[in-house]
Amino acid sequence: MIEVENLVFRYDGSANPALRDINLTIGDGEYVAVIGPNGCGKTTLLQHFNALHLPASGTVRIDGMPTSDPRHVREIRRLVGMVFQNPDNQIVGMTVEEDIAFGPENLGLPSREIGRRVEESLNAVGLRSLAERPPHTLSGGEKRLVAVAGVLAMKPRHIAFDEPTSYLDPSARKRIIEVIRNLHKEGMTVIHITHDMDEVATADRIVVMNDGRVHQTGKPVEICSGVERLKELGLGIPRATELLWKLKKRGGNLRTDILTIDGACDEITAWLRRESLIVNSGQKSSVERQDV
Amino acid sequence: MYNLGQYLPADSPIHRLDPRIKILSVVALSIIILRAHGFEPALISLFLAVAAFAGRMKPRHVIDALRPLAFFLCILFFLHLFFTAGRPLLEIPPGITVTFEGLHRGLLTTWQFTALVTGASILTLTTSPSGLISGLERLLRPFSRLGIPSHDIAVMVSLALRFVPTLLEESERVRKAQIARGADFKKGNIIKRFKTVSSLVVPLALGSLRRAEELARAMEGRGYERGPRTYLRELRLAPSDYAAFVVVIVFLAGLKLL
Repeated sequence: MIEVENLVFRYDGSANPALRDINLTIGDGEYVAVIGPNGCGKTTLLQHFNALHLPASGTVRIDGMPTSDPRHVREIRRLVGMVFQNPDNQIVGMTVEEDIAFGPENLGLPSREIGRRVEESLNAVGLRSLAERPPHTLSGGEKRLVAVAGVLAMKPRHIAFDEPTSYLDPSARKRIIEVIRNLHKEGMTVIHITHDMDEVATADRIVVMNDGRVHQTGKPVEICSGVERLKELGLGIPRATELLWKLKKRGGNLRTDILTIDGACDEITAWLRRESLIVNSGQKSSVERQDV
Repeated sequence: MYNLGQYLPADSPIHRLDPRIKILSVVALSIIILRAHGFEPALISLFLAVAAFAGRMKPRHVIDALRPLAFFLCILFFLHLFFTAGRPLLEIPPGITVTFEGLHRGLLTTWQFTALVTGASILTLTTSPSGLISGLERLLRPFSRLGIPSHDIAVMVSLALRFVPTLLEESERVRKAQIARGADFKKGNIIKRFKTVSSLVVPLALGSLRRAEELARAMEGRGYERGPRTYLRELRLAPSDYAAFVVVIVFLAGLKLL
């Protein structure tokens, strides 16, 4: 469990606090997406979970241990894995497997255990075949996966991802999202910063941040129903939801609490049928799906 | 793409040797090479050739390693050839005398450098960079009591090597960005060129500082602390390693005793 109480944080030499009075509790195994405009403090908040930043006032507790207590820092860094935004600057090994071994090596584990963990982590992200490759020969997506594997080798209980899909092509993006969802399914707590609203649809909860504060939190459906409020912050809503909103604005009698493309397809076909725009119910469904 | 230390992955008896044995052998061999005289160079050359052959190296690899030194080797040879006093061998008209001793010293020194480079390339071509680093780390470990932090040195060196290709890529990116904005790295006098080069160096240096900060943060986040740590591949000496070391020692000792 990650508990944040009245957290205030200020960067050295900066007059305005980067985080102002944050209160947030993230339960074990929860999948929390954090969204918000650039510079709102998402990354700064994330790095508090790993004791990379320490609160100026207030507390951050990981499984009951306050991050401000130096005696717990080592254990906290093992419990909370951190996947940073730029994989190039977090890969330290000269080969993929050496990089994944870096964390366990720091824990002082015996060689055999390190080898086993490297193996497991490589399998978890599907990079077995790249074990001996030097990192600069990998694609952007593969580098991210190496970074994730390096974190998994520490056997963390919570993982924080800082914009894990930025600058990736659609297939690499899909691979990363799949890995994140699998980890969540296996019971890992996931904290996921993103700008892509389509990615947050499957989260248990969304935390919207603005100007160093938690602006609102809620289930994805609740958050995405406040379209106007999100737009004010410069944020979007999932594409599927946006389509439904636009249809509704033009007089369509549709639900707008749907976040996925498939869900929107079903809703739109149901609507067309209600409006008797489609008589033959045999073929249209697949046609509609392609159009969307 | 740029290849670090020109390591050639292969499966050979030399590749399989423990890096420590290879490092120590090269050091011992280098000392002997620098003190070689008489018929020793021939035997040492033979030994190096056998080792290179066993390590699946081709003559091309040694030539590639020597090429940047070719000019330096020539100068060295001719300096010895022309400026050593001794029994005259050949008179060249404007008062220069080539001596017998000069020819001998010139050949010997040139051979010494060639042999040193060959020995070092056998080491770097058959040992992966991380193997070299862990070998050095283990060799330095006993000195940690004297204040030599072998673990930290190992991490430092491997980080430096890891970031060489990344920085090369980045310098290429900066160079292209500057060319796109009208910089010309090939024209102009020295002062002008210096200015253009600084447009490359400054962003690169600033970028590296930012990179270093992020890297430090990521390393901390993964639990890195100074001091002892464990390794994925802990080096272990096999019987074949002892055997190889004995062969090297016997060869070198035999050379000196004969």
